[in-house]
Amino acid sequence: MSLTTHIEALGSKAAGAGRAGSRLAIIAAKSMSGVFARDSPKGEVARQMYIVGNKSVLFIAITMGFLGMVMVIQSGGQINRVTGDLSQLGPQFLKLFIQEFAPTITALMLATRVGAGIAAEVGSMKVTEQIDALRLSGITPTSYLIAPRLIACLFMGFVLTVIAIVIAFSAGGVSAWGVFGLNPTVFFDSSMVRSYDIAIGSIKTICYSTAIPIISGYCGLEARGGSEGVGTATTSAVIGSSFAVLLLDFIISGIGLTIFGGGV
Amino acid sequence: MRDVDVSFDGSPVLRSLSLSLERGGRLGILGPAAGGKSVLLKLLVGLVAPDDGAVHILGTDISRGKEKTLMRVRRDVGMLFQNYALFDFMTVGENVAFPLARLGETEEGEIAERVSLRLRAVGLAGSETKMPSELSGGMKKRVGIARATIARPALLLYDEPTAGLDPVTTSKMYELIAADQAETGCTVLAVSSDVGALCGFSTELALMHEGRIRYRGPSEAIGDSNDALVRQFVSGKDEGPL
Repeated sequence: MSLTTHIEALGSKAAGAGRAGSRLAIIAAKSMSGVFARDSPKGEVARQMYIVGNKSVLFIAITMGFLGMVMVIQSGGQINRVTGDLSQLGPQFLKLFIQEFAPTITALMLATRVGAGIAAEVGSMKVTEQIDALRLSGITPTSYLIAPRLIACLFMGFVLTVIAIVIAFSAGGVSAWGVFGLNPTVFFDSSMVRSYDIAIGSIKTICYSTAIPIISGYCGLEARGGSEGVGTATTSAVIGSSFAVLLLDFIISGIGLTIFGGGV
Repeated sequence: MRDVDVSFDGSPVLRSLSLSLERGGRLGILGPAAGGKSVLLKLLVGLVAPDDGAVHILGTDISRGKEKTLMRVRRDVGMLFQNYALFDFMTVGENVAFPLARLGETEEGEIAERVSLRLRAVGLAGSETKMPSELSGGMKKRVGIARATIARPALLLYDEPTAGLDPVTTSKMYELIAADQAETGCTVLAVSSDVGALCGFSTELALMHEGRIRYRGPSEAIGDSNDALVRQFVSGKDEGPL
């Protein structure tokens, strides 16, 4: 293959990525404006909140509970080897979970469970021409399908993140008491949490909860063919949403660190 | 439409296609699978944008794909999709009522009455509360026809209206489509691979192959076409250019 062919192939891929990026931007803008259009079916937002929130809570609670226990045991063991002073274990654990782990891990789990669901649902509607039927009836699919999921993810993303913090912190406290004999009054200490931590955690939650339904909805709307196309859309949604969460995590943390010095 | 080109990922689907149909007319479009028939119907309602050429529907130019223009035109168009396109999260009644409810010009009681009448007309009386997943392919097709016609649109597009239906139901469906047209005076464009059924339905036929019209004329003369491809498709013989 000649150099020209390689360059042409690269250029074609770049152009394709550019087109996909512009389509994603259009869908994001339309979905966000769709939140105010109130074009979705009656009760759809509540139904989506149930799907995003209630159906994810057990999954997130179990994962975060185990994560909290493992992190406390691992970090407690390390501290014991170095200084033996476990008094900062709980406060630092809570700070880290509010700012970083709870929003990010919750979002990653939502990306796999909710993102896949959105892409599969929208994708199957696309390949069975239901999206075309909606458009023919004068409905913008982004307002009708993605906007209610966006509202649900934004609201339930916050709720699930708070639940994740509470469960991980509680499970961590129980582990610290059981494994290291740490007094719960020492562990359950929120004195290290600053408003900066809460602000960064909240910003991350908002950004993740916006990105997941939009990227997943975009993947669904781009589905082609039959069930294979829906499968591809679902996989792309999980990968795309997870990648977006990690990228946004890096960007928001980086901005926080650069501008506010990490809130210290 | 005039000199319309449509391509997907660089592959041409419609090539310099020109087609016209007068208001109140009826045209059946035949052709082998993947010949561009469904794309043609979607083009007519702006669900597919032309790469080149002009598309005028009910006197409005929709080639530029402006959303407001498309929304206005689509209010006067009903379409039966090839895969039925019934909303799987709605009941049969809600599906059929959907176009009327969206227009917002009819009271709920009247909508319910018209849904009931339409379902009876397609042989599915009392199916309002069923979900699409409970229906067979043929029943879904009939619900799709009821949904497409309930708002009495000026233009009706049927994509494979009788695929999957038995011969008796097929002739009943075409009778229903013809009766609807006689009542409302709408324009009907039906796409199908079923030569016999479409010949009986429409006095004028067109045959599409690889994005081009290969025949347009009276249905009774299609078998005598000079084009060997058209003759082979109509006769269903194994040997030929197809």
